[in-house]
Amino acid sequence: MSILYDEGQQAIATESRRVLDARMDKGRLLKLLEQVGEHDQPFWDTAVEQGWTALAIPEEHGGLGLGLIELGLVAQACGAATSGAPFLTGGYGVSQGLIQGSDAALAAEWLPKLAAGEATGCVAFAEGNAALPPVAGVTFADGKLSGTKPAVAGGLKADVALVWADAAGQPALVLADLSGATRTAVDSYDNTRLYADLAFAGTAATVVALGDAARKLALDVMARMAVVTAHEQVGGAEALLYIARDYAVTRKAFGQPIGAFQSIKHRIAEMYGLVEIARANCIHAAAQEGTDEFLLAAADARISATEAYDTNSRDCVQIHGGIGVTWEMGLHLHMRRARSLAVECGNLLFWEDVLVNELTGEKA
Amino acid sequence: MSELDTYREKARAFLTSMAPKYAREARVGNTVEQDLALGREYMAAKYDAGFGGINWPVEMGGQGLTHLHKITFDAEEMQFGMPNVFFGISLGMPVPIIMHYCEDKAWVKERVIKALRGEEIWCQLFSEPSGGSDLAALRTRVEPDGNGWKMNGQKIWTSWAQYCDYGVIVTRSDPTVEKHKGLTYFWIDMKAKGVDVRPIKLAGGDSHVNEVFFDDVRLEDSQRLGAVGGGFGVALHTLMIERYIATDSGGFGPHLDEFVKLAKDTEINGKPAIEDGRIRSQIARNHAMRGGLDSITKRAFAMMMAGMQPGPEGSLQKLVAVRSRQKLSELAMDMKGNESLAFDPHAYVKTDWGASWLNAPTGRIAGGSDEVLLNTIAEKILGLPQDHRPDKGVPFNAIPA
Repeated sequence: MSILYDEGQQAIATESRRVLDARMDKGRLLKLLEQVGEHDQPFWDTAVEQGWTALAIPEEHGGLGLGLIELGLVAQACGAATSGAPFLTGGYGVSQGLIQGSDAALAAEWLPKLAAGEATGCVAFAEGNAALPPVAGVTFADGKLSGTKPAVAGGLKADVALVWADAAGQPALVLADLSGATRTAVDSYDNTRLYADLAFAGTAATVVALGDAARKLALDVMARMAVVTAHEQVGGAEALLYIARDYAVTRKAFGQPIGAFQSIKHRIAEMYGLVEIARANCIHAAAQEGTDEFLLAAADARISATEAYDTNSRDCVQIHGGIGVTWEMGLHLHMRRARSLAVECGNLLFWEDVLVNELTGEKA
Repeated sequence: MSELDTYREKARAFLTSMAPKYAREARVGNTVEQDLALGREYMAAKYDAGFGGINWPVEMGGQGLTHLHKITFDAEEMQFGMPNVFFGISLGMPVPIIMHYCEDKAWVKERVIKALRGEEIWCQLFSEPSGGSDLAALRTRVEPDGNGWKMNGQKIWTSWAQYCDYGVIVTRSDPTVEKHKGLTYFWIDMKAKGVDVRPIKLAGGDSHVNEVFFDDVRLEDSQRLGAVGGGFGVALHTLMIERYIATDSGGFGPHLDEFVKLAKDTEINGKPAIEDGRIRSQIARNHAMRGGLDSITKRAFAMMMAGMQPGPEGSLQKLVAVRSRQKLSELAMDMKGNESLAFDPHAYVKTDWGASWLNAPTGRIAGGSDEVLLNTIAEKILGLPQDHRPDKGVPFNAIPA
């Protein structure tokens, strides 16, 4: 895969940004922060209408047959807009589980629905503070799931979940129809992520992968979602860079624009550096899809993008001074999103370990 | 295989044939003078093999290939640790500048070939005690002297001046106008009467930089490059020449693999350091950062191959890489504990953490300090305003000292 975007890819980047610029509304997103269990429907309608749900699903299943590069570019635009629903990443995770899993009939059943946006998906791997516990507490036996997955992104409304479970001592990846699960909304600092505890009590589920194959596939799904998320983080971090820049050239203090003071301009130059390093890692990782280098590249992208988004949230607010901490200014939309994305699909500690294990040859 | 890949193979074959005599491992324990003598031999061999002046015009003694061929060769050459350090500035800035500005082309061609063969070395005399980052604050003065000029003053931090035959220099020709407007650019003969070169010993123990004093040095007007008063423009041109050079995401210090190896071979609290979370976190963070820089380089290369202009993010390389090298070197020394206290002043900065640490500050200052690079990113890329400048619009001789 090339590390230079072709014309089609550039068009996806421009168009997705244009559509979101036109349709996103900060006031609407601010209201949603205080409503547990609601996502931004206009955003999701846009995502479906634009075909973003179909992007990375193969053509034989009703998708567009594109890949991580294209989905990453859309995610970047979504990140810049602090988009109000988690289903693009979750749906991609589920679809990859199905595409690479062992049940062709199950894939044929769900992929067209995911592609068309008729169904939404979420990924439920984490338990406690572990992103991918060595032995899952949720168990799978006789086609049924038992146990609880805490604070699953999208869990409150998704139709299906790809679940990391323990099947009598061996790992299992299974697909569960969430109509058979009990969902409890989690009141969060970033409520449009639709976090919910998913309780399974004999919930019917279908095996996608078992044993070592399940572990390998789970890690690959996480790496793919991490690359999508890293693009989203880069989009957010870049938006904050330019919000900070625009403020620093207009706001005056001590007789000059504050951006003329080196304490401010150097901070903004550092923000630029973090964005470009993370962006370069994202482009590289997306182009490594399916190669032996992919996991390492995904870890690089995820770590640098998390650092960029967290740091730029911190520093953009700091550069704004008092106005930066107001509800109305809305920089906290990015602050909140920077943290929720940093924790979802494996935190820094998890990816740092994955990276070092890859370097030293100790596979996770 | 692409044409560039073929070229890379050819370059590697040549470098491999040179390695037994000239590569780093062959020169352990050499003095600087021995290395310089070997360096001159190596440069001559490189020229004879057709790898001198790769992207320079054939009519000037170069090979007439593209910039991509040059950075392809340089990236290969860097891995061998050849004794080419004395010629980097010479061929990087001064010689291209005389090719561009000097009118006597026959004389220039002779200089170009001798410089490429390592027979002559050129230095760049820009920084002064009164200003390194603030180049236009320089005070070295030229005055009309008959049909030429007379120069007095001092330069500093001039790399390899003690071995140089020629140099390019920016001087002040008119102190009554704004500081950028009263400068004039010349080439000079470093062996001329009145030129006095004094090496400066640096913190790491070596003396590759110098102070250079000028006492009534005579310059012909034919040595002038560019217009009288146009020296600042020529200086900026000089600094812009090699914008896309071969880079090193390790900040010209040890590779991260060396750190991982050390962490595997070292114990902390009775366990391998590679299992220590503090060490693991730094490995991961540095890997992600260096990986990003490498990807920026690869993308810049791909863009140049596609005939496009690379993005401005290449300007991050030195800033980010050298800072991280400095901190990682400190951590490596901490990891080694008391074993890191033994120090060899001649150790190689790319394999020795102590040498890497002690010489890292030079990398954060030379060729644009971290602070100047941040200003450049902020102003040129992001469009932020300049800081308050009390020297703006003021004649040089009216700026408060």
